[in-house]
Amino acid sequence: MGLAAILASLAFLSLLFISIIGKGYTAFWQTYVRLDVHLSADQLDRTELETADYPGIVKKTLRSMFPEVKSRGDKRKLYALISSGAAFQIREMVLEDPDLVGKTVSVWVPADDDVDMLVKGHIERDVPEEARRLTDKQLAWVDALTGEGRVEKRFNRTLFTHGDSREPELAGIWGATVGSFLTLAITLLLSFPIGVASAVYLEEFAPKNRWTDLIEVNINNLAAVPSIVFGLLGLAVFLNFFGLPRSAPVVGGLVLTLMTLPTIIIASRAALLAVPPSIREAALGVGASKMQTVFHHVLPLALPGMLTGTIIGMARALGETAPLLMIGMVAFIVDIPGGFTDPSTALPVQIYLWADSPEKAFVERTSAATLVLLAFLIVMNALAVVLRRRFERRW
Amino acid sequence: MADPTHSDPKLISREKRKTVGDITVDNPRMTCRNVNVYYGEKQAIRNVSLDIARNEVIAMIGPSGCGKSTFIRCLNRMNDTIESCRVEGEIIIDDVNIYGRDIDVVPLRAQVGMVFQKPNPFPKSIYENVAYGPKIHGLSQSRAELDEIVETSLKKAGLWEEVKDQLEHPGTGLSGGQQQRLCIARTIAVSPEVILMDEPCSALDPIATARIEDLIDELREQYSIVIVTHSMQQASRVSQRTAYFHLGDLIEVGKTTDIFTRPKHQLTEDYITGRFG
Amino acid sequence: MFKKTILLAAALGLIFALGAGNAQAARDYISIVGSSTVYPFATVVAEQFGKTTSYKTPKIESTGSGGGLKLFCAGVGVEHPDITNASRAIKSSEKEMCVKNGVKEIVEVKIGYDGIVMANSKKSAPLKLTRRDIFLALAKEVPDPKGGEKLVANPYKTWKDVNPSLPNVKIEVLGPPPTSGTRDAFAELAMEAGAKTFDWIKAMKKTDKKAYKAVCHTVREDGAYIEAGENDNLIVQKLEANPDAFGIFGFSFLDQNTDKIQGSYIEGVQPTFDGIAAGDYPVSRPLFFYVKKAHVDVIPGMKEYLKEFTSEKAWGPDGYLSEKGMIPMPDAERKQYHNAVENLTPLMMK
Ligand SMILES: Nc1ncnc2c1ncn2[C@@H]1O[C@H](COP(=O)(O)OP(=O)(O)OP(=O)(O)O)[C@@H](O)[C@H]1O
Ligand SMILES: [Mg+2]
Repeated sequence: MGLAAILASLAFLSLLFISIIGKGYTAFWQTYVRLDVHLSADQLDRTELETADYPGIVKKTLRSMFPEVKSRGDKRKLYALISSGAAFQIREMVLEDPDLVGKTVSVWVPADDDVDMLVKGHIERDVPEEARRLTDKQLAWVDALTGEGRVEKRFNRTLFTHGDSREPELAGIWGATVGSFLTLAITLLLSFPIGVASAVYLEEFAPKNRWTDLIEVNINNLAAVPSIVFGLLGLAVFLNFFGLPRSAPVVGGLVLTLMTLPTIIIASRAALLAVPPSIREAALGVGASKMQTVFHHVLPLALPGMLTGTIIGMARALGETAPLLMIGMVAFIVDIPGGFTDPSTALPVQIYLWADSPEKAFVERTSAATLVLLAFLIVMNALAVVLRRRFERRW
Repeated sequence: MADPTHSDPKLISREKRKTVGDITVDNPRMTCRNVNVYYGEKQAIRNVSLDIARNEVIAMIGPSGCGKSTFIRCLNRMNDTIESCRVEGEIIIDDVNIYGRDIDVVPLRAQVGMVFQKPNPFPKSIYENVAYGPKIHGLSQSRAELDEIVETSLKKAGLWEEVKDQLEHPGTGLSGGQQQRLCIARTIAVSPEVILMDEPCSALDPIATARIEDLIDELREQYSIVIVTHSMQQASRVSQRTAYFHLGDLIEVGKTTDIFTRPKHQLTEDYITGRFG
Repeated sequence: MFKKTILLAAALGLIFALGAGNAQAARDYISIVGSSTVYPFATVVAEQFGKTTSYKTPKIESTGSGGGLKLFCAGVGVEHPDITNASRAIKSSEKEMCVKNGVKEIVEVKIGYDGIVMANSKKSAPLKLTRRDIFLALAKEVPDPKGGEKLVANPYKTWKDVNPSLPNVKIEVLGPPPTSGTRDAFAELAMEAGAKTFDWIKAMKKTDKKAYKAVCHTVREDGAYIEAGENDNLIVQKLEANPDAFGIFGFSFLDQNTDKIQGSYIEGVQPTFDGIAAGDYPVSRPLFFYVKKAHVDVIPGMKEYLKEFTSEKAWGPDGYLSEKGMIPMPDAERKQYHNAVENLTPLMMK
């Protein structure tokens, strides 16, 4: 019976994984197009390289590749094949090496998300033209480029190095990852010491009276409170009362601390309770004080259990979006947060936002981001197991 | 106060509950007078007075639940850890009542050490197990001194030869009998004057038991030892005096040889002849 | 015990230090909140703005129109947002709240239109609906089919029951939950308009406004209307799997998935870019954002952001917002709002 249950749950889990991987793995590649860009000195004034018309350069390059395109509408369609990020890429290249001006360079620039979807087979060619996001002409141009070997799928580094963007081909999860990291750092820094200290106090030192009973009941109740309530609390206390900035990892960390504290306290108390009383007696018997008994013997033995509880709490915090909504972390943020008070999002928030974006290319990116989040969760849980193994002592 | 003997079939009259035999000794190490212990409403020890002599082993015997453990746990205030437990009366060591006001239990527990029924070494190395007590009490100035304390303690506990090459191994990795001797070494390391042992051999096989019994006999030269045991043979082998408890009362106390050959009290005789208990 | 007190004190100290440190610090990025319908458009502008100027990219929170206005109207100062997006005009109660909190001057900017579509899988034929059909198919209570000015629980099971010219297919509509702005707009623009075609219901508006609203806006709960969550992509996926089902969502999702789904005709017009832009498609709503005038000179980049948003290359007929599915305003209207932004003409607050 038990084995069947485990097998069934494993089967469901692998089904989930297969479906997410199946949808998401293509996002790790991105279609790039090779352009031979002539960086003519007419268009690039060496004194004003910052503000030059780089989109114009890209457009000119495309026009020179398809000289037959004349009408305004067709030109627009042609320009639409290349990501708007191409201009920024060339700008950065030129700023880094101003000597390129006057030369013709061959660069791989990201294709537009529609082209990317076409190359990956997510846009069907044999449906009527008006039912496609790419026109027949655009298909022909893409085929021509492909024929010249100018279209290639490459590893999608952008996904791991950039912040959010409304252009799928330029969007990345690095900003959200950093946000999650900063948020969790605050959470861990606060919730582990406070949680362990509270557990030690309640379990070892607190007198058993009505007050401590009340506190205990409340902690157990808090563990079951829906997470959005902690967001509301954070909004009222940290933002409105203390005036902390909206959308900041420090507030997210504080809110998630409130959310994970009960979990950590309960796990830590269970770990303390699991320390055999004979160890306490042994310590007291040789004349250790209560403090010494707890801190020299009981706490070290309970620590692996406490760590496990903490990591599981952290893993839960890593997956939360609801409380972050209330404190403004569900937001479009392009810049990578550089500190605890910079505006930022978190990984699950990024997934949530992408899942709700109309562009088709965000579907696979959503799955890819989910994969990354799952990978983090697996690493954290593995860490919990490893830590427990390492510190576990038999007695 | 509820009287647990009230509805007991083997009801004893108040007269018969008075301790038979001489509770005093010439050279007392500890003196207990009119000790009463309550667990909440329930009384577990009733008006017990008893001296514990220097350099002797005194055995506590009696049927299960009669209060032997409760009594010896009073001697180093181990009962403090039980919230509902309340102790009345006097227990004097070095002219001080250990239940008096402003008494620090930490030095007391170093002075009156305890060995438990089940071996309970710390989940640390053998060395750490023995060194822990001296460390927290500041008994050594240097590592060398500490090494010496560990060595002598282990030697006294008769464990040195077996473990001297594996002091860094976990204490929990030893056999049950070795673990119990390690616990004795741990107790000795803080130089106590009295050692309390609550059924120290009940978890051990006969060979390990014999070793511990020999050890107790040797330790008597330096310490006073109070041992709780369910084995009448063990009591007669290791102890000089024996105290018989019954339902919280100290019924009879006297020389071990006298108790086992000519018990004065009917209840004692019933117990040692195996008629109940 | 000591450890605990020390830690708590340290934590509180940290909060205070950060709070005090930050309350005074100026904000160097624009903070925008508001409608999730406007979010995909505002974010494109923000990103473009961030990349082409030296200012930081604005932060845009998706809070919903009501939530956004509440935050927006909470006061003046760096801790409050500078701009809120809305998929409806500000209500008079919200204006009052703004004024009460010292937000006296706000600039209203209409940015374009969003069509709400009812779409189904391309595997089936498109429906030709009237708003009356929509009301009859989706309202909780409808006029008694046997006649008389009486409401009965919605008895219609198939589209054919509603209107004999429609196919004999079970009514099955996936749509957003009541918390969504799309749902509000759909109820108002499609269902209420359909209900009004019954004269006696229209008359109710004067006699009993509350009951009128309830009749027009209450969606049936017998399983024919399925609340599918806020995620429009999910609805699109479900339509693909079930060719008999219809979904309700914003035009941009139809625009991105024209290979799989098609919009139903409403009053003879299909939801196309041109149809909505020309004002022929009836179920479309204006999109806005509101600017806190007091912040314009305080937060760096505000003027430039407004300029970017109201430029032809953004909101014009060929602008990049139209590529993302926003329906641009007619030329005259664009000009009007462009001027309003240029002069920062505040909204009448009474
Ligand atoms: N923590 C406690 N709380 C309440 N009552 C207790 C507690 N510990 C012991 N008692 C009661 O006190 C009485 C004496 O118990 P104690 O453990 O001293 O007996 P004992 O003579 O050591 O028995 P055994 O030979 O079985 O160890 C018993 O009636 C027991 O139920
Ligand atoms: Mg006992």
